[in-house]
Amino acid sequence: MLKKEPKWLEAGGSGTVRRTLKRSITARTLVVGIALAALFGAVFLVLVLAIQQQRQAGRLALRSQEAITAGTDLEKSLINMENGLRGYVASGRERLLEPFDAGRRAYPRQVTVLTRLVADEPSQQAAVRRIASDIDDYVALWALPLVQLAGERLPSARSVIATGTGRRRLDALRAQFADLFVRERAVARERELRAEQRSDVAVGIGVAGVALVVLLAIGMWQYLRRAILRPVGVVAGAAEAVAAGDLSVRVPAAREDELGSLARSFNAMTASLERSQAELRRRTAELERSNAELEQYAQMASHDLQAPLATISMYVELLRRRAAESGDEQAAELLGGIHASSGWMRSLIRDLLHLSRVGRGELERETLDTNELLGQVLDNLAGPIRDRGAEIVAGSLPAVQGDGRQLAQVFQNLIGNAIKFSDEEHPHVTVEGVVEGDVVAFLVRDNGIGIDPAQIERIFRPFERLHGEARYEGTGVGLAICRRIVEHHGGEISAEGRPGVGSTFRFTVPRAPGPAAIERPPAPQATMAQ
Amino acid sequence: VIRRAAALVLLLAAALLVACGGGDDGPSGEPTSEPKGPVIRLGTKNFSEQFILGELYRQALVAKGFRVDLKEDVGSTEIIDAALTIGKLDMYPEYVGVLLSEIAGQKRRPRSAREAYTRAQRFVRSRDQRLLDATPFSNSNALAVKPATARRLGLRSVGDLDDAPGRVEIAAPPEFRTRFEGLLGLRELYGLRNIDVVPTAIGEQYDALDDGLVDVAAVFTTDGQLNAGTYELLDDEKGLFSYQNVAPVVSRKMLDAAPGLADALDAVSAKLTTRAMQAMNAAVDLRGDRPAAVARRFLREHGLV
Repeated sequence: MLKKEPKWLEAGGSGTVRRTLKRSITARTLVVGIALAALFGAVFLVLVLAIQQQRQAGRLALRSQEAITAGTDLEKSLINMENGLRGYVASGRERLLEPFDAGRRAYPRQVTVLTRLVADEPSQQAAVRRIASDIDDYVALWALPLVQLAGERLPSARSVIATGTGRRRLDALRAQFADLFVRERAVARERELRAEQRSDVAVGIGVAGVALVVLLAIGMWQYLRRAILRPVGVVAGAAEAVAAGDLSVRVPAAREDELGSLARSFNAMTASLERSQAELRRRTAELERSNAELEQYAQMASHDLQAPLATISMYVELLRRRAAESGDEQAAELLGGIHASSGWMRSLIRDLLHLSRVGRGELERETLDTNELLGQVLDNLAGPIRDRGAEIVAGSLPAVQGDGRQLAQVFQNLIGNAIKFSDEEHPHVTVEGVVEGDVVAFLVRDNGIGIDPAQIERIFRPFERLHGEARYEGTGVGLAICRRIVEHHGGEISAEGRPGVGSTFRFTVPRAPGPAAIERPPAPQATMAQ
Repeated sequence: VIRRAAALVLLLAAALLVACGGGDDGPSGEPTSEPKGPVIRLGTKNFSEQFILGELYRQALVAKGFRVDLKEDVGSTEIIDAALTIGKLDMYPEYVGVLLSEIAGQKRRPRSAREAYTRAQRFVRSRDQRLLDATPFSNSNALAVKPATARRLGLRSVGDLDDAPGRVEIAAPPEFRTRFEGLLGLRELYGLRNIDVVPTAIGEQYDALDDGLVDVAAVFTTDGQLNAGTYELLDDEKGLFSYQNVAPVVSRKMLDAAPGLADALDAVSAKLTTRAMQAMNAAVDLRGDRPAAVARRFLREHGLV
């Protein structure tokens, strides 16, 4: 049935293949998985970027603070210079110039630091450049000339300080500083705000991303459950029904993915099973019918043959008597031979009829007391037993289930054979029954002529005889009938023995239902000897 | 090895020759319109007339292809002179009389503008500087009063201040107190002992007079405010406030380094008459024009740019 699929694919062409691919669970699972992974990756990437930006913004905000600190240092140097200058001019003592010299030495480096810290803001950088240039002018065109002047004419220097030129320069510079700081603080605030926003965005993206991934994962699980587990469950349920024997179940197969093909294969399988079962039934019925017909023919033939044979036998006997009365000894002898042969033929036909009857039709299964059954059998065989002075020993036998008439036939044939195939003065036969699980195994043992082990299979075939007709009478159907009956009961029959020592026949029959208590120990022995 | 050393010496000699030749070419080369050569650091003092002068010189020099770094409002004479002397400036416009009395410290009054210029030139040369040509205008110091005050106190000349009752308060720039052409000269030359200086920013003396805070104000004769006739100037009968023509003081080093600089500056100075200067001062101080714009207008009118 699976072979059907490639043909169907071929017929559909590449378009069908692509559609099948697109719809196949493997492809869909792969796509969803890749999408999930990609989304997770993207969320992670965006998160990393957001965090990086936030860190960058934080660094910039920190740099603004550093710039304000550096600017304050620079302003301090400037104020130190002016204070030193004023102290010197007011007192005339050069020692008081020290703050000025210190400030003058320090400020170029401070300018460099500040310039580097505001490098991100061109307008602030320009402001710092202006400040640096104004400080240069302050030093070159105010402070140094004033120091020079004070060295020559201190009063003039003092009057120059009174003109306020230095104060104006300083105030202008401090105003520039104030401006710089205000703007830098604004920049810092803006950067901090940006950092916070970035941080919020990062957190938002993280939460949203995780939520999205979780939702997708749940969605995927739901999808798998709905798209795969449920249909698989349906198929599994159907398979159980098939296992229970219901071959008519079918599963919906509308899907075009792997599950669809599974469903189709399953349906094809059950359909095929159903078909072959129906075929089997049909053939069995046919076979049974032809078998029955055949046996009917055989039965009819044997039955219909019996009547003319009986007539022939009767007329021949009449002819023989007349010949004997008329003294024609030779004719009487010939007619006696014809009479004997037709008698032999009648028994052959009878046995054949018998054989064809056993093992046919429904068995009547009933619980049987085997001991009782054996009693009837021994009654039937009372003639030969008495004639041969045979001794039959039977223990207590377990109850069985089966057809009483047929099982009695088995016992009768076996025990009859045991008595018949014996050259002893007093043939001795034992019958035992042992419960073995669900069956009872019966053993019929004798001390007769025994069997050559190489011939054992032959004895169960119909009309097979190991010994000459003259020595032991019989048509050779008895064991074949036994085998048919035992096998018809679901058991088996076998034989073993040694020539001259005796033989043992073993056959099994279903045990009678109910507690095993029916089984009785074979200890008390009932001896039947007539 | 010897040959290589000789070649090296030859090469060095050639390089030296080329370098000397180049150096000789420099001064004779025409100044082009493209800015080149040293940056001339041009300073100005701390009042409007100086701002105008600074712009006049700067624009004229730039037009001639010099590179100029104008440093406005450096400060009073004392400070700007110190800046020039210690080499932080290359030039600034100075008043000849101020130069003589305040920088050179000469108390002997010059008898003529020419004598003042000659003596100033001699002094700056001693300091390795040069005085370029002076302007026709002279912006002298003067003492101004309101006509009503003059009548009330009977003031006509500087000497009359001695007879004024009580102390006389003069509104003046702070340096007035330590200048010879200021409080020192008034005491030494005129023997005035009743003078107090009220320090004011330059230009604000007029407000002090108007508001009645002071009786007298130290002013410049080219001040635009004097045009209106609302103030009277006291006669300087002893010649304390001497000839104050403007002449650029330039370091000799810059004159050597920037050929043509003197000619360019002299061309501007020659056009600066008293009327022209007063008009420009009035434009800045009274009408509120920007010094740069006023200077550009003047230079255009006189074909200097």
